[in-house]
Amino acid sequence: MSAAREMLCDTARAAFAEAATAGMTPVEEAGFALLLVPEGEGGFGGDWGDVNAVLQIAGAMVPDLPIAARIAPEGLQAAATISLMAGAMGAALALSIEHVNTRQQFGRPLGKFQAVQQSLAVMACEVRAVEAAAAALAARLDVVGRDPVAADFEIAAAKLRANRAVGVVTSIAHQVHGAIGFTREYALNRVTIPLMRWRGEHGNDAHWAARLGRQVAGLGGQGLWAAMTERSDKNRML
Amino acid sequence: MQGFALYPFDPPGDVAALRGELRGWLAANQPTGDIVARANCWASFDPDFSRALGGAGYIGMTLPSRYGGGDRHPLERYVVIEELLAAGAPVGAHWIADRQTGPLILRYGSEEQRQRYLPGIARGELYACIGLSEPGAGSDLAAVRTAARETADGWRINGQKIWTTGAHLSHIMLALVRTEEGSERNAGLSQLLIDLDTPGITIRPIIDMAGRHDFNEVFFDDVLVPHGALVGERGQGWKQVTAELGLERSGPERYLSSHALLVALIDAAGPDPAPPVAALIGELSAELWTLRQLSMSTAAKLAAGEDPMVEASVVKELGNAFEQDMPRRVQAIVDCPWDDASDLGRLLRALLIASPSFSLRGGTREVIRGIIARGLGLR
Ligand SMILES: Cc1cc2nc3c(=O)[nH]c(=O)nc-3n(C[C@H](O)[C@H](O)[C@H](O)COP(=O)(O)OP(=O)(O)OC[C@H]3O[C@@H](n4cnc5c(N)ncnc54)[C@H](O)[C@@H]3O)c2cc1C
Repeated sequence: MSAAREMLCDTARAAFAEAATAGMTPVEEAGFALLLVPEGEGGFGGDWGDVNAVLQIAGAMVPDLPIAARIAPEGLQAAATISLMAGAMGAALALSIEHVNTRQQFGRPLGKFQAVQQSLAVMACEVRAVEAAAAALAARLDVVGRDPVAADFEIAAAKLRANRAVGVVTSIAHQVHGAIGFTREYALNRVTIPLMRWRGEHGNDAHWAARLGRQVAGLGGQGLWAAMTERSDKNRML
Repeated sequence: MQGFALYPFDPPGDVAALRGELRGWLAANQPTGDIVARANCWASFDPDFSRALGGAGYIGMTLPSRYGGGDRHPLERYVVIEELLAAGAPVGAHWIADRQTGPLILRYGSEEQRQRYLPGIARGELYACIGLSEPGAGSDLAAVRTAARETADGWRINGQKIWTTGAHLSHIMLALVRTEEGSERNAGLSQLLIDLDTPGITIRPIIDMAGRHDFNEVFFDDVLVPHGALVGERGQGWKQVTAELGLERSGPERYLSSHALLVALIDAAGPDPAPPVAALIGELSAELWTLRQLSMSTAAKLAAGEDPMVEASVVKELGNAFEQDMPRRVQAIVDCPWDDASDLGRLLRALLIASPSFSLRGGTREVIRGIIARGLGLR
């Protein structure tokens, strides 16, 4: 990660920590609404890679605040939601790892039991997949000047993949936590409830599957691979 | 495994041109006969095709030119192999030699071994098999018992390997054997490069559930190979094999084995598919796209000289699930009799039957999940 993005993430973590209790004011004061505004116009001049990084932190720390709506234009709210989802899933995974390494039953930490290990491995794969999807979508958006039409394939594929991960990630996270994860007080529901909500927002599975399916059908069998590779080869060249 | 960075996939040169050249070459050289050979195509043996591919410079691409290689970047090779797999080209004959045996000989082998084997590998003429599994050593690879004793004349080998893919069509085996008498588990193991025409070796076919003869039992009965058959350091076999498995587990073949079925599904569905078919195509395409991003990132990390053991396992786990579930999901949606003669029907049947092996070969699902769990800090 570039030094500038690293700094941006530090700022985001600090602002969102405050925002967790104070609401949107610290976010506004830190100027996140200007993240995508060009430097010449008094903004930060960030790209979608920056947005992805900041929204992953938002998804983990303050999933209930309307930060994506402040940073990203209307046409890119589906894309923004994918980053929030990746962040929230990362947080659910981190909480789960921490929990199974601390909580003891049968005289050892839960994380020593193979059944628990295998569940968390499955969950981690889903989280990595969504993180990769969010990052690849960001790369595409930055190549095409954040035009949602030019990134339609990637938005559909990434949102659909993220949606499909929600079921696996939330169910395993809650399962390994036991009853404590079902309490209002424990932090897990602060990311799992937003994940459940986001799955249905800006296009649920059926919406994106139908849309992407029709697009791919129009490409034809060989055309799918040709289109996928052409799009990613172009990401490099531009 | 804290935080996942997407490594940018950035091969040198003009990738689109490289792809274009290869596609042009395939259009002229890929056998058009049996569509089913395009399924799980890295198990399709076709020495004629391999020789032609090697002659065109698409095998041993990353090996140095002094050994007949192409001096190309690993990510250029990645582009070539993902194209070959997506096209369903019959790459099985040279696959293992190109993917792991060649690179391992380059890294750990002696100068003599390099000169002796690498040029043939790069020409697509010399094929290799993997001698790891034994009757008593499957997931528990450290239980390997095949023994090699050093004598004045060389290494004397006794024991048995099993499930050895392509042993009957290969020239050499890279075998993991116990070289220290009385050693236990992962200590005392070494890798030997064994010419399969050495006296005392018996190769017996094992017919798989698809009726194919791909894998074999290989027996070693007082087999004498020269001292120079040792690859790398004596006693370092476990470490070397771990590096080999890294190469074996991270490639695009871990998610593309069923790609021919997706192509046939889309073609059969036509431009205006019924809603359930469109939805299935959409879901499979989303997974394919995501897996490709993960796989390219892992390849880029490997090319940067880092060890992507956990990332490679994530690609294998998700990729195997994708290629294994695809035929089942297609069957659930598309009405297709078992003996259907269409391309779609024949590919579907072949892949339903082949797919149980996808989460066994190269390390089982449970073993792979164990590696990921260790990466998470759980063991
Ligand atoms: C098509 C195909 C090609 C192959 N080609 C080769 C080859 O070329 N060379 C070669 O050396 N090998 C090859 N193999 C062998 C392959 O590597 C082994 O099948 C694999 O390592 C598993 O070993 P096993 O079959 O003995 O199963 P086992 O190890 O007996 O496992 C059976 C089941 O038990 C599970 N299991 C085992 N131990 C544990 C544990 N500790 N915890 C939880 N679950 C466990 C496994 O995950 C699996 O589900 C091939 C296999 C196939 C199917």
